[in-house]
Amino acid sequence: MGAATRIATKDLKLRIRDRSAIIIGIIAPLTLAFIFDLVFGGAFTQQLDLEFGLVDLDGTEISQGLGDVLEEVEAEGVLVLETFDTAELAEEAVEEGVIDASILLGEGFGQSVMTNSDAGIAVIGSVDAPTSTQIAASIAQQYATGIEAAQLAVATAAAASNSQVTPEFFASLTTDPSTAAFSYTITDITTATRQLDATTYFSAGMAVFFLFFTVQFGVLGLLEEEREGTLARLQAAPISRASIVLGKALLAFLLGIISMGVLVVATQLLIGATWGAPLGVALLVVAGVLSAVGIMGLVAAVAKSPEGAGNLGAIIAVILGMLGGVFFQLGSGDDFLSRLTFITPHAWFMEGLANLADGAPWTAALPAVGAIMIFAVVTGAISWVLLRRRFIR
Amino acid sequence: MRVWAIGVSNIKRMLRERSNIFFVFIFPIAIILLIGAQFGGDFDPVVGLHSADDGIIAASIVAEMESLDDIETRNFGSEEELLGAVEGGAVQAGISLPEGMDGAAAAGELVEIGYVARTDGTGPQLQAVVGSAVAVVMKPVGAAQFATAETDAPFDRTLEIARGIDEGAAAIAVEVSAVGESQFPEDLGRFDLGAPSQLVLFTFLTALAGSAALILTRQLGISQRMLSTPTSLGTIVVGESFGRFGTAMVQGLYIIVLTLIIFGVDWGDPVGAILLLVLFAAVGAGAGVLMGSVFSNDQQAGGVGVVLSIGLGALGGCMLPLELFSPTMQRVAHITPHAWALDGYAELVRRDGTTLDILPELGVLFAYAVILFALAAWRLRIAITRP
Repeated sequence: MGAATRIATKDLKLRIRDRSAIIIGIIAPLTLAFIFDLVFGGAFTQQLDLEFGLVDLDGTEISQGLGDVLEEVEAEGVLVLETFDTAELAEEAVEEGVIDASILLGEGFGQSVMTNSDAGIAVIGSVDAPTSTQIAASIAQQYATGIEAAQLAVATAAAASNSQVTPEFFASLTTDPSTAAFSYTITDITTATRQLDATTYFSAGMAVFFLFFTVQFGVLGLLEEEREGTLARLQAAPISRASIVLGKALLAFLLGIISMGVLVVATQLLIGATWGAPLGVALLVVAGVLSAVGIMGLVAAVAKSPEGAGNLGAIIAVILGMLGGVFFQLGSGDDFLSRLTFITPHAWFMEGLANLADGAPWTAALPAVGAIMIFAVVTGAISWVLLRRRFIR
Repeated sequence: MRVWAIGVSNIKRMLRERSNIFFVFIFPIAIILLIGAQFGGDFDPVVGLHSADDGIIAASIVAEMESLDDIETRNFGSEEELLGAVEGGAVQAGISLPEGMDGAAAAGELVEIGYVARTDGTGPQLQAVVGSAVAVVMKPVGAAQFATAETDAPFDRTLEIARGIDEGAAAIAVEVSAVGESQFPEDLGRFDLGAPSQLVLFTFLTALAGSAALILTRQLGISQRMLSTPTSLGTIVVGESFGRFGTAMVQGLYIIVLTLIIFGVDWGDPVGAILLLVLFAAVGAGAGVLMGSVFSNDQQAGGVGVVLSIGLGALGGCMLPLELFSPTMQRVAHITPHAWALDGYAELVRRDGTTLDILPELGVLFAYAVILFALAAWRLRIAITRP
């Protein structure tokens, strides 16, 4: 074990002096996380900045009801409302993308409602904002339904008592018919968020993606020593052959831990990522690094040359990263792609972090840690057997 | 002739490396496929539904939600599953319909409907959509409750009357129309958006990755040996640049031809599409030669190359359409040659533009290429002749 530690610390110094490990392990993921956050941060949450226009050409008490409803919603901070004097001005604003959609109440709207005849509300939306248009239409619809409900309530009450809707009948009503629109309540069921914010998502995604390249620097050292003939010299030294393999594995583990550790701290300080409960993150990082060492060990065991191993390792790291959803989440809901993603340790790492989001306790990460450890143990055991056959016996 | 020989040997070197087969030929196509599969559909928000009630009100609400055009729905077996889906982001909002809604309505009580939404994304705004759908369904119920309270007629009867009147009653129609020219036309194929982005991303990546080959050429002393033959320094510099340009072109043409044949991507005006590729490959080649001259460690250059090409690609709109960037970010994006190339392809692919329409983009890319090659030639001369 002493020999393994000596080999690992010697190589660690070498790797740190050769700046490529620092570029791959720290600078690359940090830079890309920053750029991705900058570019995708806004689109990631798909936050809609709703800006609606309102044109009230009617100006009656009834038509003003819609303005009141919209102002109420505006007060909740869900949308921004702008009023226009003419339909043309509003349409122009929609076309130019100043507002997403505009709601128009034409002249005579109130009169039509009072006389129980058909009326219309026009919603003009931008072709590129279908969801915003749908929301504007929904608000208009809800307002219209409220009016209809009151009308229907009066008509139903009249029919049920076999009377006509006359001013006298109106006067005989004991409650306000507009209450008919409130036969239900929509109650909020509050829920926690088990999803990473954009900054943390890209920080964690890039960290775990480049982890597999960083760990390569350690494991592939074995093949470099073999080619340069220094492996034979090491084997001649009075140390066990297993400790040579162990030393390289230890180096890979250390490189991975250093890279991840620096990234966790740096992304929190520099770009405001929130990784969650430290103990949970630490367990995920250790499990993640172990799985990377196991998988890259497998690559080293089957490759013939250091270059071949480097290339194969890169291909595997890129495929696992893509599938694991480190660049963008694969699939939606529980379709095939979103299940496929869990054949990678990357996806479990992200899942574990998502479970830590919103201040969850460290234990929330344990299922994911367990899953990643299965990757680590299985690939680690196979690598050990193969590497033993090649470098020890 | 010597320029040709140096260039072609560089392309051969690239093609003989087996891992390049993956990164140059298989990987970009896989990504185009993956992104096409992922985003081929539309971006409609998804509302989850859970109904614990088998009554008429619950069924009507579910039917009303399912009939909405720009909203997708998904059914969940339990409220827990629904909450889990909202928490995990699989759906943006959810409606939970409790048991006994019909009974509560008949008793004149408030019918309670559970709503859950994410606090981010479209969650808060979807409440308006859900509220409107529920309002439509609950309209006769509210009217019947009102009439029962006013006239003491039984609820069943007033509800029947209300439904009957509602059928033929005067209605306030909400008419929705769309104006403006769509940035993403309806007939845009599912791969048409992704293919140009990946073309730009990967030709640049390949060109920059070529810097490692150039560094090896210098490290192994091949450049110096070439100099000892009757080959001028200028020929070597041009040849090496031609090699980088050639590898980028091989990949670019491959992506264009394959996506055209397999995915039916409409690249628009072929002259314009090829010209854009030629100039963009030249920009990539210039950047690759510059990096290959400035760095002296191929592993370092490889790492920096990956960061640069992915970073510039993301910034330049290869991973998210530029139209979805904020105005400020759109301006920032146009620092990259990627954004100009993508603007050009957008004009050709989406707006059926011609070569004339993309002259400004071609001009900017040409300027990038000239500047990068000038810098690269200067640095490479120094790097090769430095003792």
